[in-house]
Amino acid sequence: MTGRSEQAIQVRELRKTYVVPEREGGLAAAARSLVRRRTREVPAVAGISFDVAPGEIVGFLGPNGAGKTTTLKVLSGLLHPTSGEVTALGHVPWQRETAFLRRMTLIMGQRNQLAWDIPVVDSFDLNRAIYQIPAAEYRQRVKELVELLELEELLRKPVRNLSLGERMKCEVAGSLLHRPDVLFLDEPTIGLDVTMQRRIRNFIAHYTQRTGATTLLTSHYMADVEALCRRVLVIHHGQLLYDGDLAGLVTRFSPHKTIVIDLEPSGPAVDGRIEALVGSPDWVVSHAEDRLTLRVPRSETAAVTTRLLANLQVADVIVEEPPIDEVIDLVFAAGPADAQAKDAR
Amino acid sequence: MRSLGLLWLSFRLGALNAIRYRADFMVQLFQSLIGLGIALGGIAVVFSQTDQLGGWRQEELIALIGVFMLVGGLIAVVIRPSMEQLMEGVRLGTLDFTLTKPADAQLLVSVKRVEIWRLVEVVLGAALIVLAMVQLGERVSLERVAAFAVTMLAGMAIVYSFLLILSTLAFWLVRLENILVIFHSMYEAGRWPVGIYPPWLRATLTFVVPVAFAITVPVEALVGRLEPATLVGSLLLAVAFLIASRWFWRLGLRHYTGASA
Amino acid sequence: MRGLPLRQLVDVYRAKFRAEIALQFAYRWALAIWLLGLLLQPIVYLVVWTTVARSQGGTVGGFSARDFAAYFTIFMVVNQLTFTWHYWEFEWRVRQGFFSPLLLRPIHPLHNDLAENVTFKLLTFTVVAPVAVLLLVTFNASLNPSPWQVLAFLPALVFAFALRFLLEWTLALAAFWLTRVTAINQAYYLAVVFLSGQMAPLELLPEAVQVIAAVLPFRWMVAFPVETVLGRLSPMEVAVGLAAQLIWIGLALGLLRFGWRAGVRRYSAVGA
Repeated sequence: MTGRSEQAIQVRELRKTYVVPEREGGLAAAARSLVRRRTREVPAVAGISFDVAPGEIVGFLGPNGAGKTTTLKVLSGLLHPTSGEVTALGHVPWQRETAFLRRMTLIMGQRNQLAWDIPVVDSFDLNRAIYQIPAAEYRQRVKELVELLELEELLRKPVRNLSLGERMKCEVAGSLLHRPDVLFLDEPTIGLDVTMQRRIRNFIAHYTQRTGATTLLTSHYMADVEALCRRVLVIHHGQLLYDGDLAGLVTRFSPHKTIVIDLEPSGPAVDGRIEALVGSPDWVVSHAEDRLTLRVPRSETAAVTTRLLANLQVADVIVEEPPIDEVIDLVFAAGPADAQAKDAR
Repeated sequence: MRSLGLLWLSFRLGALNAIRYRADFMVQLFQSLIGLGIALGGIAVVFSQTDQLGGWRQEELIALIGVFMLVGGLIAVVIRPSMEQLMEGVRLGTLDFTLTKPADAQLLVSVKRVEIWRLVEVVLGAALIVLAMVQLGERVSLERVAAFAVTMLAGMAIVYSFLLILSTLAFWLVRLENILVIFHSMYEAGRWPVGIYPPWLRATLTFVVPVAFAITVPVEALVGRLEPATLVGSLLLAVAFLIASRWFWRLGLRHYTGASA
Repeated sequence: MRGLPLRQLVDVYRAKFRAEIALQFAYRWALAIWLLGLLLQPIVYLVVWTTVARSQGGTVGGFSARDFAAYFTIFMVVNQLTFTWHYWEFEWRVRQGFFSPLLLRPIHPLHNDLAENVTFKLLTFTVVAPVAVLLLVTFNASLNPSPWQVLAFLPALVFAFALRFLLEWTLALAAFWLTRVTAINQAYYLAVVFLSGQMAPLELLPEAVQVIAAVLPFRWMVAFPVETVLGRLSPMEVAVGLAAQLIWIGLALGLLRFGWRAGVRRYSAVGA
């Protein structure tokens, strides 16, 4: 373990359990519940630990309800954990010290922080006052954000008159006015069209590169994670399944590679020999006219490819990793127990 | 008959919807009881200092509060929510769905939404009226009750037409969400007999925002101080209001189709 | 409510002021209609009590028709300047998660509401004040306070606002524990209507009710400044009243601090 001061964020054995009331139907049950409530404990985060170094951009992957948002809320001081230790920038987040709050931001794609009925620029000005941004710097930053995100037309409009994408641009700009050192981004591109997603993504990349801000990002869109994060945390049922780089995630969780072979149309018929050449009928995904698609165990990939190249008239061959989305699905389908068994760390 | 059928269907739907939110019933009951408490408390405070207010005795004022709650409740159950829905429909264009239905559009929009729990207020108001009638004793005769019922119906017709006219304005002035609040705050003045107000306010409450015909006049009928002329006037005004609102509604509708075509 | 640099606070309030003006301007018609309803209320009570006074040969409990005109008009002004609406919003705020953005800021959310409130008051006062003058003239109100009464009125008014704001903000915190606070709010509102002098001057209420209104904070939240400027209190009574206000403000501050800490702990435990 590295020294405490060197990490921007440290999380040790974080747990968060919600107590939710259980309700039954019917008037009698409702009356009973007035006297004694039946409750149930729902673990949202079940003991996770990780560190984030200053300047690192980390993607948080996991299906809905995996505990991503809960973790972000603990880190930004909105939630008090059930147990565990957390420090962010040397502070305990849920003590909500002013010094901490001024250095971080939480952007939620599904929530608005800008006031709904007033022009964007007034909300910005309020943030300037709250975060005590010196006037000259404030003007400079607004100017820069306006250029980068093309906000010129939007500043004078009330938020309710903006489209979803425009609103998100303003939301992001407003949240970064105080130059936070830590960014918590929860689904920042949700619901946006592809162009706007790319826009926001590029901007975040630009910001983090320039300021060296530490960033934690959750997203449903793999494109966000692929573009921004070298390191990912995979979380499922409140447990950490994987912590490492994206490429490693694929090798770890996908034991197969895909081989696509295009055959010369003029070549001899191969139907009879295929299975023998490939090695196992289970490995053949499809065999159309002159295209053969295989899914082969990682360790066999080289051997199979060599055999096929030597024995068939091949026009083209592609060996590829399965799409990251598929890998993720695979991880979640496997469930925490299986995946953890694989986890050698 | 057809209109009654529609109203009934609306109520059924509203009731089915409301039953799922039982907690709302308790909140509504509590809220109505508080309203009742404020009204009766106010009367109690006033009558601790005097034995009549502008010629009205305490039990007559209790009857007035009863009618105030009954009429207010009826407005809150169906008229107000439906009118709010209508204005929203004009603003968002969802009125299209109503207009394409094979029934009278005015009728449809008038019973479009029902807030069933507000019936609590109607029940409390009715109970209060019965209580006041018992207190009034022999002064309540059959023809007085009949006159009460007639003026009450006329008053409801006037209030309904008035609110429809206000809401129909939405066809021209789209951002008008708050206009019904005008009626609501004027209605509050109806807790007391309009006769005590200075002439300009009395005139406003009688002819501009016709609260007087919905509350004061029916109670006057009940306690036997109604002039026959007022009874006739109330009926004529009701007819006039119904015709005017219908005409205005048609005019607005023409404007709506004209605008979106 | 940690100590914040005053300069920053002033800056925040000014920014909030500008934003709020823009907001109210967007809703100017709603505001106008709301004001209309507000102004009707004192007229109704004024008329009712004037009628009572006339039927009793001119005065009721030492109030003439002209005294009632002064009482209800000044009451409207004081009530308008001291009322708050935040406790009606908290349930929605907590349930919809709108509290979270406020918690993320390095400033106590109380300041947000206080700034909103003060701005709204300043804005609406420009309408309320002339209308009050108009009412005083129209109903020939008898209002001639001596200089010391006017002087005492100002701190009484400021304390009344502080007290009401702090108490009602504390009341609002109930939303952290209960999913439905409407019933509590309604009950509180009922108490305010009767015990703060809105329905009738407290002097006209039964003895027992007067005692309750004075022991609880209600009299000190609205009625007291009105009574002061109407000249119905002796210097001694005014001094006692100001002291009562300060004591209640101290209590309210303590309650608020305690309730806020517990409330935020609760909010951050059950899911923000």
